[in-house]
Amino acid sequence: MPIVEAQGLRKRYPLSERKGEFFNAVDGVSLAIEAGEIFGLLGPNGAGKTTTLEMLEGLTDIDEGSAFIAGLDVAREPYKVKRLIGVQLQANEYFDHLTVEELLKLFYGLYGRREDPRALLERVNLLDKAKAKPARLSGGQKQRFSIACALVNTPQVLFLDEPTTGLDPQAKRRLWELVRELNRGGMTIVLTTHNMEEAEFLCDRLAIMDKGRIIAAGTPLELIERHAPEPPARPAHGNLEDVFLRLTGHELRE
Amino acid sequence: MNQTLLMARTFLRIFSRDRQAIFFSLFFPLIFMSVFGFVGRAESEPTEIGLSDEARNELSAEFIAALEANPLFRITQGEEAELREQVISGDLTLLLVIPADFHDTSASSELRVVVDASQVRELGLLMPVLEQALVEVERDLRGLEPLFTLTVEDVQARAQNYLAFLVPGMLAFTVMQISIAGSGYNIVEYRRKGILKRLFVTPLEPSSFIGGLVLSRATVCLIQLSLLLLYALFVLEVPLAGSLALLYFVIILGTSMFLSLGFCLGSLAKTQQAIMALGNLVTFPQMFLSGIFYPIDILPDWIQPLAQLLPLSFLADALRGIVVDAATLTTLWPELLGLLVWTTLFLLASIRMFVWKEVAA
Repeated sequence: MPIVEAQGLRKRYPLSERKGEFFNAVDGVSLAIEAGEIFGLLGPNGAGKTTTLEMLEGLTDIDEGSAFIAGLDVAREPYKVKRLIGVQLQANEYFDHLTVEELLKLFYGLYGRREDPRALLERVNLLDKAKAKPARLSGGQKQRFSIACALVNTPQVLFLDEPTTGLDPQAKRRLWELVRELNRGGMTIVLTTHNMEEAEFLCDRLAIMDKGRIIAAGTPLELIERHAPEPPARPAHGNLEDVFLRLTGHELRE
Repeated sequence: MNQTLLMARTFLRIFSRDRQAIFFSLFFPLIFMSVFGFVGRAESEPTEIGLSDEARNELSAEFIAALEANPLFRITQGEEAELREQVISGDLTLLLVIPADFHDTSASSELRVVVDASQVRELGLLMPVLEQALVEVERDLRGLEPLFTLTVEDVQARAQNYLAFLVPGMLAFTVMQISIAGSGYNIVEYRRKGILKRLFVTPLEPSSFIGGLVLSRATVCLIQLSLLLLYALFVLEVPLAGSLALLYFVIILGTSMFLSLGFCLGSLAKTQQAIMALGNLVTFPQMFLSGIFYPIDILPDWIQPLAQLLPLSFLADALRGIVVDAATLTTLWPELLGLLVWTTLFLLASIRMFVWKEVAA
């Protein structure tokens, strides 16, 4: 049984320019993600990736359709679902005046846990930043801290919303390694991205979204085989000498 | 409950580290109370009066001696032209010129009062006092027994009374400012930064979030008001006529009322600028209409009944009743009822309006 399952998800927003009219930010999305997978939602900005994710997480009301996490109905039992999932949001600002360590303690506390945040900080390579304020962290450190916050309840499913947007190549690589490592530990990971390299490198399976719909799904290789355009004819290379040699043979003539 | 306490502890830690906010929330009321405290005292200083004696006779000398004996005035004698300069520069409040024909006690002579136009406001207060002093001097000179006596104390006592009037008003005003800022402004900031959203991805219940914020804000508010109260009671020496426990009860009620109002505003406003504008829209009229700086009786008749019904009016009246008139629960019931009605209304509205989901949409 898939650990994340969605059937015909729909989200309607009123059109700001025309009163009384609506548009579907998400328009009938169905998904099935198996436990232990890294699943990617790929698509341009405004495709409905984040809204889909938020409906799966119970952050946004589902207008139509249904979503289940580990067999629990997200709309009916949001609080049980919240205990099973970890969420990293696109916005990663936190309370001013609190340190990285204090914030992690707060998040532990919200799940009723009392644990030393240092072990977790070690895992995301931020132990030396324990006393820093999140606002002072670099882009990559901020993202790793965001993920640490999402790990406090050792979730079964981790949702990452554009985890590497705005990171430099080194920070991006490091984050990919972290995601892979978490996945090797058995965690199911659902992420959104508009970075093709990331999708190809990280994801076991992908769904490509556009205008609120899933327009293609499969493993990266399947998608490439099915949808990539035929390779163009090879351009002519070499020179007349090559042609001559090829036609007449390479042996020396006396 | 655990989550509520956890949030309350977290918010308290955040507030205690926000030095700027702590400073400004205390700075304004302290400055106000101090300024009025000292201005009040300054009013008992003698008025500087210049005196030019053109008569230079026994009678005028006697008149001047009588004036100098009055503690309300400090007399500087000199030539009219030179004293005029001092009136213009503001060193003297007014100049009194005794005319040359000031010699016969049987005939009336005219004393001229020279003032600077900018001092006219003060003149309105001074003239009756001056005239009274002249009458007394005249009685003295003519050996008449006064029919009435005027006590000078009224002028001095007014300053103390005004401070006793102002302090409860400032307490009420501070409760309003701290509470509305504490709930409304914070909520908008947390929503804009996506912090609310982040919190509600966890199993945190909305009621625990609100409960924690209210609990921590109420604690901060009580500490800040206790400081103001200590300052008023011991430094400015404003006497507290009524019960301290009742005073705190009313402060807590007022805090809950304005925290709820703050939550309503925080739900209406989407941006920091919007909440500032909304906050001012709600607090400024109350600042001037709710009898904080002057009694509501001074306002135009038609606006008075409305002004009496403002949330801040009920709070200021209740606090003033306790500080000045030793009011008790039985005499304060109209104000307490008013506070309760507003609190209930704001609370219901804030629960209805607060958007938990799609917090950053």
